[in-house]
Amino acid sequence: MLSAILWTPLAFGLISLLAPRRFAPWVAGTGTLITLVLAAIVAIGFDSSQGLQYVVDVTWIPGLGINYSLGIDGISVFLVLLTALAWVPAVAFTASRGTDRAGLFYFMLLAGQTATLGAFLAQDLLLFVLFFDLMIVPFYFLFGIWGSDREGVTAGSATVKMIVFTLIGSLLMLVGAVAVGVIAADGGQLTFNMAELAEKGLPSGSQNWIFWFFAAAFLVKMPAFPLHGWMPDAYRAAPLPALAVFSAVLSKVGAYGFLKVVLPIMPDAVELFQTTMLIIALGSIIYGSVMAFTKIDLRLILGFSSVAQLGFITLGIFALDSTGANGALLQMINHGLVVVPAFLIVALIAERTGSEDIGPMGGLAKKAPVFAVIFLIVTMGTLAIPGSANFIGEFYILNGVFNTDVAIAIIASSGVALAAFYALRMYQRTMHNPLPEGSDSREISVRDGLMIVPIVLIMIVLAFCPQIILGDTRDSVDATVAVSKEAAQ
Amino acid sequence: MAIEWYLVLSAMLFSIGFAGVLVRRNPVVVLLCLELMLSGGALAMLSFSRLHGDGDGQVFVLMVLVVAAAEVVVGLGLVVAMFRRRIPLDVDEMKELRG
Amino acid sequence: MTFDAPTIDYAGLSPIITMTAGLVLLVLVAVFDGVKRTAPAIALLTLATTAGLLIWQWDADTPLLNGSLQIDGLAVVFSLLVVISAAAAVLLTIGDPSEHQAGRPDFLALLMASVLGMVMLTMASNLITFFIALELFSIPLYALCGTNLRKRESLEAGLKYLIIGSVGSATLLYGMALIYGASAATDFTGIASGLTEGGLISDSLTLVGVGMIAVGLAFKISIAPFHQWTPDVYQGAPTPVTAFMSAATKLAAFAVFIRFFLVALEPMAAEWDVILAALATISILVGNVGAIAQSSLKRMLGYSGVAQAGYMLAGIVVATQQGVDALTFYLAAYLAMNMAAFAAIVIHERQSGFSDSIESLRGIGRSNPLVAWPLTIAMLALAGLPPTAGFIGKLYLFQALVEADWTWLGVMIAIGTMISLVYYMRVVATIWMSPASDASLQVPSGEPGVDLDSPRRWYLVLPAILGSAAAIFFGIIPQPLVEFAQHAGNALAALIS
Repeated sequence: MLSAILWTPLAFGLISLLAPRRFAPWVAGTGTLITLVLAAIVAIGFDSSQGLQYVVDVTWIPGLGINYSLGIDGISVFLVLLTALAWVPAVAFTASRGTDRAGLFYFMLLAGQTATLGAFLAQDLLLFVLFFDLMIVPFYFLFGIWGSDREGVTAGSATVKMIVFTLIGSLLMLVGAVAVGVIAADGGQLTFNMAELAEKGLPSGSQNWIFWFFAAAFLVKMPAFPLHGWMPDAYRAAPLPALAVFSAVLSKVGAYGFLKVVLPIMPDAVELFQTTMLIIALGSIIYGSVMAFTKIDLRLILGFSSVAQLGFITLGIFALDSTGANGALLQMINHGLVVVPAFLIVALIAERTGSEDIGPMGGLAKKAPVFAVIFLIVTMGTLAIPGSANFIGEFYILNGVFNTDVAIAIIASSGVALAAFYALRMYQRTMHNPLPEGSDSREISVRDGLMIVPIVLIMIVLAFCPQIILGDTRDSVDATVAVSKEAAQ
Repeated sequence: MAIEWYLVLSAMLFSIGFAGVLVRRNPVVVLLCLELMLSGGALAMLSFSRLHGDGDGQVFVLMVLVVAAAEVVVGLGLVVAMFRRRIPLDVDEMKELRG
Repeated sequence: MTFDAPTIDYAGLSPIITMTAGLVLLVLVAVFDGVKRTAPAIALLTLATTAGLLIWQWDADTPLLNGSLQIDGLAVVFSLLVVISAAAAVLLTIGDPSEHQAGRPDFLALLMASVLGMVMLTMASNLITFFIALELFSIPLYALCGTNLRKRESLEAGLKYLIIGSVGSATLLYGMALIYGASAATDFTGIASGLTEGGLISDSLTLVGVGMIAVGLAFKISIAPFHQWTPDVYQGAPTPVTAFMSAATKLAAFAVFIRFFLVALEPMAAEWDVILAALATISILVGNVGAIAQSSLKRMLGYSGVAQAGYMLAGIVVATQQGVDALTFYLAAYLAMNMAAFAAIVIHERQSGFSDSIESLRGIGRSNPLVAWPLTIAMLALAGLPPTAGFIGKLYLFQALVEADWTWLGVMIAIGTMISLVYYMRVVATIWMSPASDASLQVPSGEPGVDLDSPRRWYLVLPAILGSAAAIFFGIIPQPLVEFAQHAGNALAALIS
């Protein structure tokens, strides 16, 4: 079952590469819908009391000790569902606008989906690293070929910067992952199965340097404050549908990596470096929020907002507190759900006004009340207004951090306030005030609405019933956090 | 005679040949210096063979002489081909490939 | 007085006999004008027969000719890879202008001679055969580099390679003399016992000898700082020759490197491993940094080959069986990537009138997929990105290094790979992400050597497709190649502690 979810996107991507041009969007769309249905079936059938489910475990490279090992647990079940969900509007949007070299585009996009699903489903450490490294390759092509050049920065060079940054972290992680397996084996049977590695444990000294190798990879991916240098150029160059899934889902793999790999396997190091990581997370929150407030390019506002949000998520994870960690996982889903419509709305705004800079914009709400409402809900989600699921997530996170370090919690709370600043500024500048010359405010079409509204509806449902997620995730998250908390004692 | 003298001589031959390869500009002279280096190695091989009372080294040297001859043949062939095409025969001037 | 003739194991010698027969046949064919066109077929037939015989000898583990050669898993695996590389080179050579000038059968005869030397080198277990085989594969290569008689660069490349290569050989010879002096033996196992019994392991002359042998081999596999010839010769030589050289010389030289250092010099492992590790690190850094500045594709691949040789050398530093396995896997993957890349370059060169610059690749993602896709896959594989065999190869090397407590060398490989991304990705970006080049870069079709139909020649396309397919296939299903590589390591298992 999990293999079906994992390989369906790639299979349909290959078909759409080879199929005649007219059919490519339909093939791709079908692939994403089938993946979504399969993911939904798994999510609904998920039983939170049973730990790892739908396990697949096949020997793949016995010579190297790597197995093709998949599984789904409370941490990954909703992330998989989010991945399956997010790709559908991205494909639909591209299909409705048409694109150059469609077959190749859909192939790359769906290959990206398979790689991301693989990272979430893998239960073998080297398989995880393989999919993590694989994720960036299709997006390198997507951003580079279909992206747009900006002043001084070609799409090609922005995307090279992105892949170099990402792979620096990933290569260090690869060395670290091999080291984990070898050191844990300690002369015995070599295995990279994550559950077994967590049980075997590593000596503290090794844990410390391996921790930073993994942290490098995940921090670059999110991106977190000191390692975010690739983000502005890449976000400005990328084609918007691809950017939507990239920002919504791929960034979460970094946070997921911390929860799934670092906390269980390196608990001593986590405890040792907890404060450092909390400070890095705090840096992301403050820096991201301040930068989002000063930018006028819509993509950069959303990009820096993501930096801040991922900072919150990291904060929740490293609070090493059950409430905090559950809040972090909830926020991962929430942020993903908010980002996908947000970038598609940016695309719609660009179509109406001809640019993505909020400087000369305004008044788009005038003849488009439905569009304005949808955008308002998304904005409110971004700033985590009480009543949205994001508020609950952030509240849990801050609660968890408060239990650990009061000062950090207080500074982090200011990030919430800053979010209000940049989110409302973004909304007001685009939607209110008079309509300038050259802009055309029109209502959102039914076709576009169908792509965005379902996700917004899910956001609203989650706002009322976050238990849908929290119920299933609680056991797995608590188990993960408990390992590290034990080390702290 | 003690073996050390032979070894010192072979080392000198090798070094003189090596220095020649680095310093000289005419390719034919460079090929000559390569022969010197090979002779240095061959002499060392012979002296060790004498030291151990073993025939292996001497057989080896016979092979080395054949190989050295083959090498020079190819080298001179290339030099002649270059000469025929009026390419200046100066090892330091082989700048076409600098980059 | 009786004469004890040595027993001749014809089965074990059959690959060498076949190659020699093919070589002689090609030289004869060169004489008779009527049969010249059959030369590539004869060459391919010879190579195929040799490959078949090697597979027949898959499980052999016997000394041949009184211990001067040894046919075992290591020899069979590496010889097979060399033969595959040569077959690709034969295909790429058809229609090449240098071949017309030098004469097709002569060219192929030289190629066969070089392959014969390489096959012997993988089997060499005695200093004498080591030297002869090394020269047998090198000297024809010097000549092959110079075969494009009309281009000045080609002749210069040949002469430059000859001079520098011979300096390497002379150094190697002197080192062999010193080792012979220290151990009183010329066969590898004899050297190992001679060194331990003679007590001269830590003697400075022995170390100088080891160093000189390492330097001589380093010249062949282009390890820095003995790599100076590589970019110039790779650019000047005819491209099929470069394709053959870049993979096969590494294959043959590493085979004997493994056999010599891990069998003959095994008692001294603690002395030489740090030196080799230092050489590997220097190669990784020099090769990767040097490649960034190149605007010629072949020079860039030359520098990148220097870095790749550094990664491979790490597999020897660990002196374990797993290291040998990892090195063999990586070399096999490297062969595939190399084949794809150079086949694509040949197709591109013939079409565009021999422009070798990276700029000339602009926009061919759209206009020339048969060149674009193999080159892209080759670049991704050389960079070590999944889902290619290059990723698995690097992973395998990391595993071998960490298991033997050489983690810092693994980190060096990781750093080198990070640097290499810049130039590999730049090629990919030029292919896919730039607008197509303008028509002024096109050469009018009247010029000799330009073949506008080159993407349709099956003999050029086949190596490109096979190489790319292998690079991806073994990235997704690596186990067959892992077992293939382990066959080489197993052969040495008994001899490595």
